[in-house]
Amino acid sequence: MLDVSQGNLDAMAHIFERYNKRLYNFYFQMIRDKAICEDMTQTVFYKVMRYRTSYKGGQFVSWIFKIARNVFSDHYQKSKKTSNTEDLEIVANKNADNKVDINDDIAHLHNALNKLSKDDRELIVLNRFQDIKYDKIAEIVGSTEGAVKVKVHRIIKKLKNAYLETI
Amino acid sequence: MDCKNIEQHIVDYLDGQLSVEESKHITKHIASCDSCKTIYDETKALFSAFENVEEEMPSDNLRTGFYKLLEEEKQLLDDKIVQLSQQKKEFPWKQAFQIAASIIFMFGGYFLGSHNSKRTSNQEISALQQETIELREDMMLAMIENQSPSKRIQAVNFTESFVKPDIKILEALIGRMQYDGNMNVRLAAAEALSEFPKSTIVKDAFIEALTTQKDPSLQIAIIQFLVKIQEKRAIAPMQQLLEESDTPDFVKDQVNSGISQII
Repeated sequence: MLDVSQGNLDAMAHIFERYNKRLYNFYFQMIRDKAICEDMTQTVFYKVMRYRTSYKGGQFVSWIFKIARNVFSDHYQKSKKTSNTEDLEIVANKNADNKVDINDDIAHLHNALNKLSKDDRELIVLNRFQDIKYDKIAEIVGSTEGAVKVKVHRIIKKLKNAYLETI
Repeated sequence: MDCKNIEQHIVDYLDGQLSVEESKHITKHIASCDSCKTIYDETKALFSAFENVEEEMPSDNLRTGFYKLLEEEKQLLDDKIVQLSQQKKEFPWKQAFQIAASIIFMFGGYFLGSHNSKRTSNQEISALQQETIELREDMMLAMIENQSPSKRIQAVNFTESFVKPDIKILEALIGRMQYDGNMNVRLAAAEALSEFPKSTIVKDAFIEALTTQKDPSLQIAIIQFLVKIQEKRAIAPMQQLLEESDTPDFVKDQVNSGISQII
């Protein structure tokens, strides 16, 4: 990435190949809408290119997920303003989920995830689906490793209960 | 370790984040405690559900979209570089030439202007000076004929400002020195004339005046002037003065010392 920040845009292709699936899945686990997720992933790479000079070394994963989070919260704020359409979206997504997920366990998991708040869901997605360690998550969300760990454990407990209820 | 503590560590236990010793402890506890075993099983089930979530594949739109974006960005960067390098090549020559030309014009204009104005102003000043001198000369010539002796003295004093007086002026002054009815005017004229020792008519006039003038103070002024200019022709009239009986003694003393100085 330091190459990119110094103006070597070809290195940007490597970054895309390495992270596009991860970012896409991060978004897909947050909101199950392929078109929106692709849009947001695209936006992240656009921002990485635009603001490449602001990257000053350090953990690149943390940096790119910080951008990803910002893009997501921008989207979230926008969709909040038009809350009626969002409700419709969720209903539609739920229906789609039921069709797509052959595996019942996964359907239950998604239902449980839907019950979490946006921030809780984000932490679980980052930690459990993206396999990002507590210390890096702390860097992304601007917190401490200990606090993130405690929060994640608490959310797992919550999620576990919700997951078991639906079975 | 009680059950509450165990529960807190189950996630780390499943993650394999605990030390060997702690792991052993929890394995042992789960085997003996039913409630903790349940929590463990449930959490494990949840985690396996996490595992089962398949990775979604983004459509090709994302990839094609990204590479399009990358190309655009590259184009933008190339444009910037090209623009910059072109500017670098063209910039110094044209602009430097323009700047140089403007500087040359500026200085050229300045020198031309200052030269011209200096010349004209010099001409004007000299013309003005000439005019004042002429005016003063005319005024002096006019005043020197004035009835009042003080005016005549003033006229005589005007000549001090003339560096190279007109011959008319000198003649007028000589006339005053020789023939003016007032002794003071004659004396002032003599003093004024002594400023021009190089003029021959002045020298001649002084030698002549030495014989004609009878006033002692004038005689002394004349002698001093002649001694100063080392006029040899003055010796004869001075000796004549010595022989004349009506010459005062102090004038004779002056003549004696004057003659010795001339020789």
